Amino acid sequence: MNTIDPRIHQVLDGELPAEALPEELRRVAAQIAAAADLLAAPPAQAGASLESRVMARIRRPPPSRVRRMLDWLVTPHALVLRFRPAWSLALVVLVAALTLFSVGDDGPELGEREGIAQFVGRFPGARSVHVLGSFNDWRPGSIALEDQDHDGVWRATIVLPEGTYEYMFVVDGERWVPDHLAERLVADDFGRENSVVIVRAARR
Amino acid sequence: MRGTPSDAEVVALVLAGDTEAFGFVIRRYEAGLLRFATRMLGSRDAAADAVAESFVRAYRHLASCREPARLRTWLYRIVTNRCKSYLARRSAADVPLDDAPAVADPLDNEAALERADQLALVERALAELSPDKREAFVLKHVEGLSYEEMAAATGERIPTLKMRVHRAREALLKVLEEYA
Repeated sequence: MNTIDPRIHQVLDGELPAEALPEELRRVAAQIAAAADLLAAPPAQAGASLESRVMARIRRPPPSRVRRMLDWLVTPHALVLRFRPAWSLALVVLVAALTLFSVGDDGPELGEREGIAQFVGRFPGARSVHVLGSFNDWRPGSIALEDQDHDGVWRATIVLPEGTYEYMFVVDGERWVPDHLAERLVADDFGRENSVVIVRAARR
Repeated sequence: MRGTPSDAEVVALVLAGDTEAFGFVIRRYEAGLLRFATRMLGSRDAAADAVAESFVRAYRHLASCREPARLRTWLYRIVTNRCKSYLARRSAADVPLDDAPAVADPLDNEAALERADQLALVERALAELSPDKREAFVLKHVEGLSYEEMAAATGERIPTLKMRVHRAREALLKVLEEYA
């Protein structure tokens, strides 16, 4: 469908002055602009402000973890999964290697339902790297990665209860970066891509 | 603080524990967000629910707003996502025309009546656009966002958004001409 002269788009996009259009095209541009002006008026019967309704909700303490979990279970969710086969395969190999070779090492003491999550990211020149996620309620600064040999590769190993967690890296305290080595990435409501790690219990 | 705090100042206040400061955010952006959601959903009630829910979510996740100075774009992004979730749950057949303009008041003058007719026509044309095109057109021409702001609000690339706006204009004009 191409019913509009490209110059009309240029005028409506502010790339061309309206005067550059012949009279007939100017009328078409004006017709579209007039339709937008009509829509730009506040909807009729806008009703009471949302302020009191919203403020009443945010003054209440946030729902408990159990309540949020129950809400989450009964609410429909749209989930966008983007698989990156090469990295997924690499992660599977890494997880398999960890599972096969790490048990019995002098690593951290694991509970019955706990597993190890390893976070690795390459951030040359970074001054600090932290990992935030659903396992630490997205609290900034609580889990720091280390680059002991100063090669730009930052690492952290933590023990977590088995489960699926979303997380992101925060570089230098301000730059939020997803982990592209993650098994998968999921989009959240805020336009971010969160990485996902699945922690499996080391002992069953 | 000056009479009207900036978005960044308000965000800093709220994050420092001043819950009531979030009222500034609501008052500042409520009208635009409600108008956008109403145009997207075709229902004022659904739009009010979507915007109220978006404000609550924005408050709870304010710490993750990485650029407080661009709070407006961030809020549009949250509302955009709420509208998409709502539209995904509701089949097209359910789209209500419930919120069609109220019956005209006989005391209204002729110009106002004609304007109401034109608005009804444009709203009908808008409702016939796909959600992607409707979103692009409303953000660009009704909310006045730049293509850069639209990209930040929707997560789409600028060429994609331009194409959607162009297609929306063409489809809108076609519908307007058909109904006129």
